[in-house]
Amino acid sequence: MKAIKHNLVTYGIAFLFIVALNFILPRMMPGNPLTAIYGDEALIAMTPELKAHLVERFALDKPLWEQFGAYFIAIFRGDLGYSYYYNAPVLKVILGHLPWTLLLVGSSLVLSTILGLMLGIESGWRRGSKTDRTLLAGLMSLNGFPDFFVGMILLLVFGVMLGFFPLAGALTPYSGISGLSLVLDVLKHMALPVAALTLAHLASGYLLTRNTMITVLKAPFMLTAKAKGLSQKVLKYRHAGRNSMLPVITMTGIRLGRVVTGALFVELVFAYPGVGQLTYQALLSRDYPVIQGVFLMVAISVLLANCAVDLLYPKIDPRVSYAY
Amino acid sequence: MHIDLKKEIRESNPGQIGIVILILVVVLAVAAPIIGRYDPIQQSAATLLSPSQNHWLGTNHVGQDIWSQLLYGARTSLLVGFSVGILGLLLSILFGMSSALIGGIYDRVIMRIVDAFIIIPMVIVVILVAAYIKPSLLLLISLLSVLTWPGGARVIRAQTLSLKQSGHISASRTFGAGWLYIAWRHILPDLMPILLVEFIYGVRRAVFMEAGLAFLGIGDPMVVSWGTMMHDALRFSYLDVWRWWLVPAGVALSLTIIGLTFISHAAEAVLDPRLRGEAVA
Repeated sequence: MKAIKHNLVTYGIAFLFIVALNFILPRMMPGNPLTAIYGDEALIAMTPELKAHLVERFALDKPLWEQFGAYFIAIFRGDLGYSYYYNAPVLKVILGHLPWTLLLVGSSLVLSTILGLMLGIESGWRRGSKTDRTLLAGLMSLNGFPDFFVGMILLLVFGVMLGFFPLAGALTPYSGISGLSLVLDVLKHMALPVAALTLAHLASGYLLTRNTMITVLKAPFMLTAKAKGLSQKVLKYRHAGRNSMLPVITMTGIRLGRVVTGALFVELVFAYPGVGQLTYQALLSRDYPVIQGVFLMVAISVLLANCAVDLLYPKIDPRVSYAY
Repeated sequence: MHIDLKKEIRESNPGQIGIVILILVVVLAVAAPIIGRYDPIQQSAATLLSPSQNHWLGTNHVGQDIWSQLLYGARTSLLVGFSVGILGLLLSILFGMSSALIGGIYDRVIMRIVDAFIIIPMVIVVILVAAYIKPSLLLLISLLSVLTWPGGARVIRAQTLSLKQSGHISASRTFGAGWLYIAWRHILPDLMPILLVEFIYGVRRAVFMEAGLAFLGIGDPMVVSWGTMMHDALRFSYLDVWRWWLVPAGVALSLTIIGLTFISHAAEAVLDPRLRGEAVA
């Protein structure tokens, strides 16, 4: 309990920092704060009534701390502001793009975690063997490739040169297909981005599992298990493998929190209509409310994922709850 | 804690490969004006040329020599990488060590800040700032340094705490040494291997981030960067130019990061002695 309370305070600080950054940055900018908060797009649509409304909404004529209060309350009402670029509430714009990102990052997260675990267990179990050395060198090199470069190579080889996969987007536009062919179309469009993300993030899970595996294999309980005459399979998976999963689960939890920005670069390469693409467009068009909204969404998902890991962890490893 | 880090790295194969790669990149970056032959920013009418005697990797969409850009790109990557590595490390040492030595409320406050910073994703903070302020190279370096120090600070604090309990420190205390003297004379030298590992982590992260942000189009357009090259080249992927424009930039970036990864893997044995004996791998 003490640990959870401690972490909650930490998350509170992180959240406050993010909200404060979101609040202070536009107000630090020279010139009209309304432009900085709403972007150039808003000025075109600006009428005296709208201006008066916006000034009131953000309490811009009040002292700074009252402005902060108004901002804070608006966030808790789920009001992330209005994008004049999309002519829609920011929350709606982001939620419209979020499913695609969740699809990409979710599938690659599952794939890379499972593959990383499997390879890591094999590698650690046979430490020093040829298999282990090849895997280690190969995956460590793979670790150096940024996901957007892996994505570009896949795009150029399998998309441009071989023509196996579509080059951009998440769906074939105006095709009017439904049912099974729609599912196939979605799968075809996500194959390359998911492959790029999986390949680029495979190594960290693998290296972590392998390192833990090596440590676990030297633990006294492994000797006991061996002395009991358990089969190799049980030793490898149930005793060593299961214990090697813990750090990977923590890492996956942390990556789950980064789900919103996880595919930022790859979405850009494949023009995939997720939150990453949205962020990039907002950056180009100076659509400040959307950038701020994305930032806030990232913060919230990071904090939620961390809380989830904290709650889940003692269930997987009872030792954790004794530690405090 | 008396471990010879240099020996540790030298005796591992990946460590050796990593050092060779890194030296190669440094040499190319330093010798850029000599082997480059062209000013990487100088635009010309000869756009999108194929590789030839004059332009080894052809020219890009505004007629800049790609080979020269590749070499000067190494400078940007290394400059950002090493600056952030050093600045971030200095901040880590400052806060990590002072936290461990002073303790009490100061320690608790700093550690809370560290914990909070660690969970905030760096990319999105930089994007947010960049949306308002067009970041120059200097601003980018400061921003990345400020965002990356907490991880190292935690490790350094933990190590300092354990060193604080060791015999030679108590002995030194009884002889009347002050904490500043002890920090400088005894703790810092013993922390050296860990500082080096943290430094390499920092460099790697910064090289990665700089390229990623430049790829997003964030950053000074006058600075030659591998990320910017890839950003520009991607728009011309329907032509064949990606073969000598996009791929070399991507490979150069990846190689640099792989080199750093290999070195840090070899050096990690210092942080976790249970992984020792990896020398054959």
